[in-house]
Amino acid sequence: MTTAFRLGAREGWRDFLPLSVGLVPWAVVTGIAMRSIGLSPLEAMGMNVLVFAGTAQLGTLPLIATGVPLWLIFLTALVLNLRFVIFSAAIAPAFHGHSWARRLSASYLLIDGVFAIGADKMLRSDDPEWRWGYYIAPSVWAWCLWQLFVLVGVLGAGVIPRDWSLEFMVTIALMLMMIPMTRTRPMLVAALAAGLGAVLLRGLPLRLGLFAGIAIGIGAGFVAEHWQQRRANA
Amino acid sequence: MSEGIWLWLTIVAIGSTTILTRGSFILLAEKARLPAAWHRALRYAPAAALAALVAPDILLDGDALQPFNPKLAAAVVVLVIALRSRNPWLPFILGMGLLILLRKGLGW
Repeated sequence: MTTAFRLGAREGWRDFLPLSVGLVPWAVVTGIAMRSIGLSPLEAMGMNVLVFAGTAQLGTLPLIATGVPLWLIFLTALVLNLRFVIFSAAIAPAFHGHSWARRLSASYLLIDGVFAIGADKMLRSDDPEWRWGYYIAPSVWAWCLWQLFVLVGVLGAGVIPRDWSLEFMVTIALMLMMIPMTRTRPMLVAALAAGLGAVLLRGLPLRLGLFAGIAIGIGAGFVAEHWQQRRANA
Repeated sequence: MSEGIWLWLTIVAIGSTTILTRGSFILLAEKARLPAAWHRALRYAPAAALAALVAPDILLDGDALQPFNPKLAAAVVVLVIALRSRNPWLPFILGMGLLILLRKGLGW
């Protein structure tokens, strides 16, 4: 372990530590939510390790619960994870020259919080070992914290009475992820249009109404952004 | 719900989207740039997907539109709290509390 790696690791971990506390409620809720649709503790933890993406886990639960075809669940998870393509593109230069194994672990561990805190600093550093330490320490920390508190939720879910409509926690969690995203006008338009579209087109076969709604939402967001720019330029 | 091997297959399929999206540029194209139009479209995808998942759940009862229902009432409470408070637990506690009260206490 080089000195640069250790310095980077310490700084990355210290930068991310305050934010990482915010993972705890999400993890507990995700654990309870996975149990609420009937996953066994082993299946829930298996999903948690294999998927390791809260939005995709929570978003696909209602679909798993109702036995929707596999390819539709896959597509939904893909859409929910699409923001990571943006993060991946932005942070990729920081891993240039690193081994395949390192880049694979970096990919698996890439989460919103570490990206938000660290991407700029990493891209400004020209020491690859420092960058690696700065990224991997908080990422592994976040992984452990997430697994631990999801386990707390998974085991804790057993004590809660069955008739408490716990599956509604999934909906609350999805709402809480969506609300901060909709602070700008075009984003709000996209969300409203997608929601309305999914409700109105619910009659389409194979739950395709969900995807029609998403497509309408993305389109509406685009149009709203365009109008906003035109108004700003006028 | 899907059982056994199918459930695990489903989980692996969901997990593959994690690696596909997070690894897209890190693994395959470290030097490539994301085209601007793509970047703009991708920004709207998560909010649209979340809304498309949430709206039917709080507005429909079975397959019929039901504008007055306990889930919608709880969702309104969650929205108000989320906009006013930074406490991460509060929307869950009050949202679930209201839903359980309406369903079990008042039989709605």
